[in-house]
Amino acid sequence: MISTNRIERFVVGALLALLAFPVTGHAWQEGDEKKDESADKKKEEPDKWFVVKNAEIHTGTGSVLRDAMLVAKNGKIDEIGHDLDVPPDAKVLDAQGLRVYPGLVAISSAGLVGQATSDFGDTVNPFNSNMILGLATGITTTGIGNAAVKLKRFSIKDLVVRDRIFSVFSWSARNPSGKRSLREKFQSASAYLRDYRAWEEKVKKDKELKEPQKKNVDTTVLAVLKGESTAKFNANERDDLLGIAHLAQEFGFRPVIEGCVEGWTVADELGRAGAMAIVTPRDRRPKDEALVRDGGSSIENAAILHRSGVAVAVVPGTESVDLGGLVGRDIMHLPIEAGFAIRGGLPEDAGLASITTTSARILGVQHRVGSLEVGKDCDLIVVDKDLLHYEAFVQWTVIDGKVVYDKQKELYFAHIRPRADAPAEPKKLDKGETEPKPDADKPKEGEEPKDGEKKGDEKKNGEGDGEKKGG
Amino acid sequence: MMLASLLFPLLFAGDTKPGPTPNLLAIRVGKAETIAKGTIEHAVILIENGKIVTIGEDLPIERGIPVLDRPDWVVMPGLVNAYSRLGLDSEGGDDMSAEVKASAELYAAAEDFQEVVKYGVTTLGLYPAGNGVPGQACAIRPLGKSKEELLLADGCYLKMISRATPSAKKLFQDGFKKADEYADKEKKAREKFDKDKKGKKDDKKEEKKEEPKTSANAPKQADAVEIEGAAARAQGEAAAQEPAAAEDPKPDEKKDDGFVPPEPEPKAKPWVDLRSGKLRGLVSINNAAEYVHFQDAIGKETFSWDLRLVVQRESDIFYVLDKQCYDLEYDGIGDKKCRVVMEPVLSVTPGTMRNRNLALELSKAGAKIVFIPRNDTLQNAKNWLANVGEMVGASLDRNVALRAVTLEPAELLGVEKRVGSLEKGKDANLLFYSGDPLEPTSKLQAVMLDGRFVHGEVKL
Repeated sequence: MISTNRIERFVVGALLALLAFPVTGHAWQEGDEKKDESADKKKEEPDKWFVVKNAEIHTGTGSVLRDAMLVAKNGKIDEIGHDLDVPPDAKVLDAQGLRVYPGLVAISSAGLVGQATSDFGDTVNPFNSNMILGLATGITTTGIGNAAVKLKRFSIKDLVVRDRIFSVFSWSARNPSGKRSLREKFQSASAYLRDYRAWEEKVKKDKELKEPQKKNVDTTVLAVLKGESTAKFNANERDDLLGIAHLAQEFGFRPVIEGCVEGWTVADELGRAGAMAIVTPRDRRPKDEALVRDGGSSIENAAILHRSGVAVAVVPGTESVDLGGLVGRDIMHLPIEAGFAIRGGLPEDAGLASITTTSARILGVQHRVGSLEVGKDCDLIVVDKDLLHYEAFVQWTVIDGKVVYDKQKELYFAHIRPRADAPAEPKKLDKGETEPKPDADKPKEGEEPKDGEKKGDEKKNGEGDGEKKGG
Repeated sequence: MMLASLLFPLLFAGDTKPGPTPNLLAIRVGKAETIAKGTIEHAVILIENGKIVTIGEDLPIERGIPVLDRPDWVVMPGLVNAYSRLGLDSEGGDDMSAEVKASAELYAAAEDFQEVVKYGVTTLGLYPAGNGVPGQACAIRPLGKSKEELLLADGCYLKMISRATPSAKKLFQDGFKKADEYADKEKKAREKFDKDKKGKKDDKKEEKKEEPKTSANAPKQADAVEIEGAAARAQGEAAAQEPAAAEDPKPDEKKDDGFVPPEPEPKAKPWVDLRSGKLRGLVSINNAAEYVHFQDAIGKETFSWDLRLVVQRESDIFYVLDKQCYDLEYDGIGDKKCRVVMEPVLSVTPGTMRNRNLALELSKAGAKIVFIPRNDTLQNAKNWLANVGEMVGASLDRNVALRAVTLEPAELLGVEKRVGSLEKGKDANLLFYSGDPLEPTSKLQAVMLDGRFVHGEVKL
C-alpha cells in the first residue's frame, strides 16, 4: 500500500509539475507590464489559509491519520500531519471526534449546477438548492455532460476541472453493422497514427516529406488512440462486454464501461483489457434463461470486477439528488450505493475509492481531486461517523479551502441529530423577519470564524430564544 | 385670481367629477408626508400654477386665497410607477435594440392613462418591450392631449435583461464593444484634430507658446504624433515640449479647444452614454445566479445601473446582498447601494414555507427600494399602496416604503426635481387620503395632478 501510495504521489507531483510549467512559462513570456501587475495583485491579496484540526483524516490513499491536521493554502492542500503550525489568519475548523474524507467525486449527476450541461461558467446556478443537497451528500466534484465540474457554491469561476473527457461509442450485439463500422474506424485511425508517428520521425531528416493523409480518419477515435480522451461504452451484456474488451486489447486503449451488469461473468477478460467499470450495485437484471452460461445481475459484481483488476466506480441508480419522494433520494446517494458494493464483497478501501479516487481517475481529474494529498485541491468532507455507515451525516463540506456547506446552517438536515455545538433550528432563516440586531462579534469556537460570523451570532440569539421557550 | 374666487362656489357644487381647480389654492390638512423632509403635522400647502409654492406647519393663509380645509386628511405626493407598460401595446424582439425608445409608442389618449390616475399614479415610467436589451424608458405624466404634453423625460434608463446564458452575457459585452469602437473613432478624430491644429500653429511659427494637445487618456499616441512631426522642428523645442507633455492636462480644459467629437452611430450611442454616465442601466434579474452572471458579464466595465428584481415566491436573492456574508467574488447588491425595482410581495426561503421580506433585507443591506405594483395591470395599480402597506406590516421601515413609491422611482427616472416629494417648487401632484395612506381602511379621496384635481369629490 505504501509503495503504491508513493508512486501515486510521484505521478501526481509529476503531473502537477507538468501542468504548472507551461503556465509559468507563458506568464514569463508576457510583457513586463503585465508581470508587474500580477505581482502587485499578489502582494495585495494575502494567502488564504484553511486548517482542519483534531480530525481523523482518511486521505483516500489508504492511510488514516488520527488526531491530525490538514493545512491548505489558497485552496490547495499544503500539509497534512500532526502538530503543524497554524498560520495566524487561518480559518480553523475543529473536527474533534469527527472524520475527514476527500470530497466525493460523482461520475454523473443531474441538476446540481442548475440546468447547465455546457458552458458552465456562463450558465451555472451556484445558489440552487440541489447543489446544497449535493454538498450534503458529500459530492464536491461531479461529471456533467462531458465535463467534470466542482460544486463551487456562491462562485461561477474556475469550476470546470476538465472538459471533453469521454468519446462515447456504442457496441451492441443488436447492431452488428455499428460494431463493424466502429472497428473499421479504429483500424483506419490506428493505421493513420502509425503512419503519422513514422512520418514524425522521418521528417526530421527529410523536411520535404509529406504528412500522411488524415482523410476518412474519425477524430473521436483518433483522440482515444492518442490518449486525449477516454472511450466510454454503455454495455451490460456479457457478449458486448467481451467484444469491448477485445477491441480495447487489439487497439490498446482502456475502455470505461458504464452499466457492466454482467461484468462479473467476464471479469478476468475485462481486467486484462484494463477496463474501468461504472456500476450501480443495486441494479437488477434477470438472467436470460434461454442461455446456459451465467448472466444477470449480481450483488457481487463490483467485488468480482475489483478482484480481477477492473477499477470500479459506483453511481447510484438515480442521477439527481433531491428530497422528492419517500424520505428523500439523497440517502440513496454515493456512500450508500458504495455500501451495497461492500455488502457484495468489495473491500472497504475499494468501496471508498469507488466514489473518490477511482471515479476521479475515470473522469481524468485525479491530479486535482479524489484524495487528500499535498498539492491537490482542498476538497474535503467532515463526517460524524464512518462515511459508509448509513447513519453518517456530512457536517461540513469544503471546496478549495472554503466551507460551502454546514449541516447546522442549512435547513435540510439540521434537525436530525444536531451537532452539539449548534442549536436545533438554524436561526438564519429568520433574517428577513423581525429579529434583534446581532450583538457584538464573538467568534465561536469550533467553527470557521469569518464565514459564519453573522450567522454565528444569530445562532447565539437562537439559543437564547430556545432557553426562554424551554423555561 | 379674482375670477377664480368668484367662480369657485359655483364650480364645486357637489359634482362627482372634479371641476376646474383655482390657479392659486391653499390646502390645509391634518398631516403631510413630504417624503423628502419627513412628516408635517397640520400642514399647509400653497399651490400656484401647478407648482408647490410653499409647504409648512400651520402657515398663515392670506385672506382671499381659496382654501381646501380637511383636518382629517393626509396628503402625500403622487405615486410614481417607474416600471410599467400601461397604455403601450407593441411587441419587442429578442435582440439588442438599445436605441429603441418607449416614447415612440406613446399614445396620449390611451384609456389606461386616464384610469391609472384615479388610483393615485401621477407619474409613469414606461419601458420598451422585448428581451435582451430592449431599449430606453421614458417618464410621463399620464394626462395630456399630445405626446409632448405627456413626456416628462426621455432616455430615463436602458432596460437590460440579464440571464445565465452565454448569449445574454455576450449581448452586454457586444454593446460595450460598440462603445469601444466609438472610443477608438473619437481618439482618432482627436489625434487628427490635434495634428491639424499643430500644423496650423507650425505655419504661424508660434512654437514657443504651443501647448500639448494630447488627449488625457492617450498621452502615448500623442507622443507618437509628435515624434512624426518632430523632423520638421528643431531639436530644442522638442525637448522643451517634453515636460509640458508630461503634465497631465485636465480633460475639462480640453473641451474648450474647439474639438467636436464625432456623433456615435445610433446603435452605439446608448452604450457610449452608459459609459459617460448620461444613461443608467436597469438590469432585470430573477435570481442570485443571474446577478453574479451579470457581474461576470460586465467585468471591469463601470457604469451606473440599478436592478429590476422579479420577486419570485422562492427567491434566493438573499445570497447576494452582502459580499462578506457568503464570501462572494463580486460586490453584493447592498454593497453597490443600487436601486432595486421590485414588487411589494413577501417570498419564502426556498424549500420551505418560511416568509422572507426581501425588501426589508435589501434595504438593510444598503440597497434602495423602488416598489412597483405586483402586476402591471390597473387592478394592481389600485391595490398598490395597500400591498406596500403589507410590507410595512412585515417590518419594512415606513419611510423606506413611502419613498419607494414616490421619490426613489422619481430618482430612477431622473425626474426627482419635478415629482416624487412635497417640496417647494415641485409639481403639485398630490394624493389626499382619509387617513394614513398605508392603512387599508384609508380611502383615496382626491388626486391632484399639476395643481389640478383630476379625480375625487372636492368641495372647497
